Amino acid sequence: MSNNHQRWLLEQLPQWEREGLLTPEAARTLRDRHAVDDSQPGAAQIVMGALGALLIGSGLIAIIGFNWDDFTRPVRLLFAFVPLLLAQLFSFRALQRGAATAPWVRETAALLQALTTGACIAIVSQIYNLGGEWPDFLFWWLLLSLPLVWVLRSSSVAIFYLIGIAVWSVNQVEHGRPWYDSPLLYPVLLLGLLPWWPGWKMRTSLSLSVRWVMTLSAIFGLCSAAVFACSRSQEHYGYYEDSFFWLWTLTAAALTLLPLSQNCLDEPTRRKPQVLLGGLWLLGYGVAATFRDASGDILRGVPYALRLPWCWGLLTVLAAFVALAFLRRRWAVLAIASISLLPLLMIPLHRPDVRPDGTLLSWLALLHLAAIGITLIVLEFAGKKGAPRLGATLLSVLIIARMADSDLSLLAKGVAFIGVGIAFLGFNILMGRLLKQKAAAPLPA
Amino acid sequence: MKTLPLIIFGIAALAQWAAPLSQIWTHEQVLAKGTLIKLKCQAPDPYDPLRGRYLAVRPQQREATVPAGMKLKKGMQVYAQLTPGSDGLATVSSLSLTPPDGGDYIRLKAQYVYNDKITFEWPFDRFYVNEKLAPEADKWFAENIRTAKGITAEVRVYNGRAVLQDLSLDGKPFREILKERVK
Repeated sequence: MSNNHQRWLLEQLPQWEREGLLTPEAARTLRDRHAVDDSQPGAAQIVMGALGALLIGSGLIAIIGFNWDDFTRPVRLLFAFVPLLLAQLFSFRALQRGAATAPWVRETAALLQALTTGACIAIVSQIYNLGGEWPDFLFWWLLLSLPLVWVLRSSSVAIFYLIGIAVWSVNQVEHGRPWYDSPLLYPVLLLGLLPWWPGWKMRTSLSLSVRWVMTLSAIFGLCSAAVFACSRSQEHYGYYEDSFFWLWTLTAAALTLLPLSQNCLDEPTRRKPQVLLGGLWLLGYGVAATFRDASGDILRGVPYALRLPWCWGLLTVLAAFVALAFLRRRWAVLAIASISLLPLLMIPLHRPDVRPDGTLLSWLALLHLAAIGITLIVLEFAGKKGAPRLGATLLSVLIIARMADSDLSLLAKGVAFIGVGIAFLGFNILMGRLLKQKAAAPLPA
Repeated sequence: MKTLPLIIFGIAALAQWAAPLSQIWTHEQVLAKGTLIKLKCQAPDPYDPLRGRYLAVRPQQREATVPAGMKLKKGMQVYAQLTPGSDGLATVSSLSLTPPDGGDYIRLKAQYVYNDKITFEWPFDRFYVNEKLAPEADKWFAENIRTAKGITAEVRVYNGRAVLQDLSLDGKPFREILKERVK
């Protein structure tokens, strides 16, 4: 439960106690169970603090942009270093006061220090007319700001860092760069956040906004690395897109299976963006693979991708995540993630001199997705945790895809589409009623 | 108060000072001890959202001949010997993978390598200007960049490093010309 929900619950408790809905004992239990973690700042506080720091930082950068021609170099350098020094003293004071520092003050101090660091590097490069591209500038700025995330536990600087490393990685995709100046560095940059999350003692839970930013950053960063890894190998030219398309899918599978603590596993899927986005990509990929031509393209790229160290790195990580998911009994995500490995089953049939035929893979993908769809529905009716609406949607999409791909007449396709639509709506109504009945049923004694 | 976060904070704060200070030290050395080299320029005017208005400075020479037997790849660092011509403007006269024993040289990055030629990037590509003077600087640059005299970049060179010190037209510093124009 998020801090906002917990705050709301705690606000209601006195009223519920007065109305006799809860006994004082039950209210106390609820208070203990849903105590608000005040070490995490509220969203409004972060926004206000960040906005203040951003305004000051942007103001400094704008002042630098004016370029004070009339001042001597040492005076202009003072403009760079004095704000940095003040921001460092502010952060030091916040750190020194420890728990007594309000979370929003800590956030503001960290962000201000990160911005003044950037402003300082910018003014120095302006004074000496330094060349270089903005991604180089961004890279060093991010590295110099990262320790602030660890020591000041700053979410706003973490968000800045995550967005920054993703932007940097996307920009470095260009062919011909050395590995240490390419998106292949992204995983190391992402791991730089580890001391902050999961934290020295692995107790910290991330806010929803940070989870989303982290997921999107990982998607852009790791996908850029996959594109770069494919482009590095000249022999893959021509199968380039097909190779990295599969690598993207392995990345999505790894994200979906990212190991989680029991607390996180118990949270709803909407609070797990890596599962949501990774799962959506995998299902989309699965549906695309049910088309014979798309399957042919996938099979064409896989043997080339398998020659890349990046691919083997991804497969190793994926194998470790699969093992952990088995131990945690995460069957649903395992079933969806396994779609990414279907092309590997076709490797024994691969002939280097013959253009691959996607028929078998397209059938495998179809059967696999259909099995997932049916399982998601059956689980619900068997009294276990399923996802009947997702299952029904998946089956409907599969039928529509097959119809679109078939040689049937427009009339037959139209009738089939209407039939699927009616069945889908009927199922939806049925599920709505079942859920109502479940909600109305008395709790077991 | 815990010690580890303080130590990390201290190291980070020092690094935040060290990064710009090392740049300042290097470039001050070049400005103080470097030889003045003049290069003929070409190009237009852009804007850097973080560092303000600047004139994009592109020395005319962007290509050199690779000596026989030298293996060069894109992105590699190479040392270029600079030799002044009879007009006082310097050009890249030879390339080597190690710093030359004497004379003025500059460290460059190979951009493209084909047959016995490379195109290279100069270590400076911009000259920042005051926001108030920028519109006039744009006009001045556009008017003079394609003239026979052309705009000259004055660069200090020391131990392979270069700092763009000024721009000039016919020996007259850029800022002086601009100040006269805006009067």
